[in-house]
Amino acid sequence: MIEFKGVIKSYAPNKTTVVHALNGIDLSIKEGEVVVLRGASGSGKSSILSLIAALSKPTSGEVIVDTKKISKLSDNFASLYRRDNIGFIFQKYNLIPNLSVRDNILLPLVPLNLNAKEAQAKLQSVMEMFEIGHKADTIVKNLSGGEQQRVAIARANVNNPKIILADEPTANLDEKLSLGFIEILKELKSLKKTIVIATHDPLFFGLDFVDREIEIHNGSIVR
Amino acid sequence: MEYAINALLRQKYKSIFISVVFVVLTFLLTSVFFIVNSMKYELNSTLDALPQIILQATKGGKHYDIETKEVANILEIEGVSDAVARVWGYYYFQNAGVNFSLVGIDSYETQSKESLSKIAQSYELQTQEGQPSMLIGEGVQKIMKKNYYKNYFNFIKNDGSFKRVEIAGVFESETELESNDMIVMSKETLRDIFEMPESQATDIIIKIANPSEISTVASKLKLMYPNCLVITKEDLKVSYENIFNYKSGVFLALFVIALFTFFIIIYDKVSGLSSEEKREVGILKALGWRIDDVLKEKFYESFILSFVSYILGVILAFAFVYTLQAPLLRDIFIGYSELKPSFELPFVFDIQTLFLVFFLSVPIYIAATIIPSWRVATLESDEVIR
Amino acid sequence: MILSPEVLTLFILNALFAFFALIAFVLSVKIFLKWDTNATDQTQYQLEKQSFLSATIIKYIFIIKVPLFLFFIFTMDKISGILPGAMCAAGVVDATAYGVYLILLKILNLYIFAYWLVLHNEDMKHETQPYTKMKFGLFIVAFFLLMSEIVLEWVMFSAIDIQKVVDCCGVIYSSTTSSYISMLFRIQTPLLLAAFYGNFALIVLFYFLRKKEIFALFNATFIIISLITLISFFGTYIYELPTHRCPFCFLQKEYHYVGYVLYIFLFIGTFYGLVTGFVKASKSDVYRSYKVSMLFTFLYVVLLSIYPLFYYIKNGVWL
Repeated sequence: MIEFKGVIKSYAPNKTTVVHALNGIDLSIKEGEVVVLRGASGSGKSSILSLIAALSKPTSGEVIVDTKKISKLSDNFASLYRRDNIGFIFQKYNLIPNLSVRDNILLPLVPLNLNAKEAQAKLQSVMEMFEIGHKADTIVKNLSGGEQQRVAIARANVNNPKIILADEPTANLDEKLSLGFIEILKELKSLKKTIVIATHDPLFFGLDFVDREIEIHNGSIVR
Repeated sequence: MEYAINALLRQKYKSIFISVVFVVLTFLLTSVFFIVNSMKYELNSTLDALPQIILQATKGGKHYDIETKEVANILEIEGVSDAVARVWGYYYFQNAGVNFSLVGIDSYETQSKESLSKIAQSYELQTQEGQPSMLIGEGVQKIMKKNYYKNYFNFIKNDGSFKRVEIAGVFESETELESNDMIVMSKETLRDIFEMPESQATDIIIKIANPSEISTVASKLKLMYPNCLVITKEDLKVSYENIFNYKSGVFLALFVIALFTFFIIIYDKVSGLSSEEKREVGILKALGWRIDDVLKEKFYESFILSFVSYILGVILAFAFVYTLQAPLLRDIFIGYSELKPSFELPFVFDIQTLFLVFFLSVPIYIAATIIPSWRVATLESDEVIR
Repeated sequence: MILSPEVLTLFILNALFAFFALIAFVLSVKIFLKWDTNATDQTQYQLEKQSFLSATIIKYIFIIKVPLFLFFIFTMDKISGILPGAMCAAGVVDATAYGVYLILLKILNLYIFAYWLVLHNEDMKHETQPYTKMKFGLFIVAFFLLMSEIVLEWVMFSAIDIQKVVDCCGVIYSSTTSSYISMLFRIQTPLLLAAFYGNFALIVLFYFLRKKEIFALFNATFIIISLITLISFFGTYIYELPTHRCPFCFLQKEYHYVGYVLYIFLFIGTFYGLVTGFVKASKSDVYRSYKVSMLFTFLYVVLLSIYPLFYYIKNGVWL
């Protein structure tokens, strides 16, 4: 379902340096697979997630999701694609701190102009699934790390996406919460979602429900 | 839409600042318009009471007394229902530095104004001893009292001699604009003060039976009296309207400068993208908001802010002008009579004014936000959330 | 020069439009020349972003222009109070040589800008954005028209001389003077009415037959025939005076501002009619345009026909 063909990604943070994040990646992920991208920080795994989400475009090569060439999409359509297909759990969660849990989770739905009932229904189902309903009206910055993560996960799922992407999801969590997150992942897999996780946390290595591990080093696939 | 309201509230200080500036501007603008409208209305009411045609003699381009005998000739013109010679003028009261309007009436003649006929009917203009007397307006009474003239007043004639006139009473007039500096006395007394002979009058007013014939009669008069000014009520109305427009126009021209500054300030403020705001938009776009969606939201923000401020400004203007009677501002517009009358600004509700102010404020604010909003909406999501 | 607050407001907003339209114009030229959907370089990417700015500006101008046009008509009406001889906006329009052209230009621009918006909306629905070059090319043309309008408006208001007496609508639109407008009024009434209702019938016919292009065509002709019959026939029933033929007087309060309603109906009806034929869109969108157009055109005809009918019922005779 997700295909990378000869993808090269470089960017220039300033005029003199050029960073080569990815050097010709080919990869293929099937629908419903759970894939873990292993590699140290800066190895390029975040770039891969970014490309799958059409948050950035490859310098050359193609990214194809569900037979659609998303690497060429214009901004508007990239956003549309994201809205309909992707649920992204960021490393820093990227929640809006002064909004409530409820408002944060509803954010992806705002441009859809759903009527109140539909929106509420979707909201309720994810809040229940990720056990954050009891804090629906709390302002996000007042929540604990684990709770914030659950909000981020709920938000990533509220639009019922086919693909879930997680960038270093356990970087700020203790072991207990990390294991909790892994349980949630199992649940998501049972919902037949395609999941790609970028992490260097050894907790994720050798898990039985993970279908594949891909190791990235310096912008290329090693294994 | 709700998100927009929410967003505005979250950025309290910025929103309030902009709102305040906006409210002040709309308030000023609306107040001025309200004042002007009220004054126009007030003036139009006075104008309605004016005669349909005024015939004034001129000599050397200046106003001169007219021959009373012309009244007979004018009455012969077809369409004229009445012609009356008026005696009136201004008297400069040196001690107070003000001008009084002196109006002469004779109780047996038809009066030029309703108000005057009422006065003529209800007061006697000669006291028992046969002394000439007069009726004065409230403003006049105040001035005279201040100068220790309580029961009578001494007019100084051209040759330096005094003419003593008793004060028979104080009258109220329908609109205070006229009554404040007006003194009514018999034509005879007035002629005495101004040393105007019986054969002459200040001007002649003419009543036309059918109002649509006014211009025809006016043209005839112009032919009959090439050296005279023929002023119709329409002419007066138009010239007043023009003066008002001119004054408003000047004010607006100044206002444009203020608007321009406003535009710059707003642009600056809205452009000042805090890293917070950038991050937020980055997150939104990462979540699937398209540029159009972000723009739409920003537009809602601008519109709500400007529209609410507009309404607030208008309401404040209402309160200021009609409840407080617009201190300070009204003095700019009332410049044309020496005795500043203390009249009340009548309540005039004019929906056109509201539209006018709307067009001058809301679209301009929204225009100022176009470019900044666009800059925000087209931010690279990727760079912001790394 | 009339420096009333209303006129000043129009000028201020026009200046604003001119400024922003210029920005959009520069961007439009760039986009028109260099747009390439298949390119993936920085230039194209920049152009994409800039196309949003242009689109936003154009949307803004149009959204403000519509109420402003009504405000403009209203201002003309108000000025008629100061202009000797004028009893309604018609006199003001006629006070200068530019008046008629200005109004026609304004109406034309409204249609063009509205059309641009529809084109834009359609364009944004497709990933390939097939109409981008076309729509910005269109804007380049529209820009010149817009600037002409703004300049003309300035010129017209400057040229209004409040000392000069102007003709009232009774003179301008009568059938006795020798202007080209009056030639139209010498056409026999039954013929005009036949053309009007006939055109409407054709519109209805092709609505049911779903022939887009012909539908649009007859909508275009309907605009013209409506205006003519409105002035020469229906107007007289609104005024209940056979010689009062004026397209502006019924915008005034004494006729309950019905003029605004009629014109709005006519505009929306014919505009959507034109859209069906001239904008390639999805079936459901075309269907929607059909319905809106038919509805408003229908309302227009009904509202208009009520006046003569009522008159006949009330008085038992035609004018």
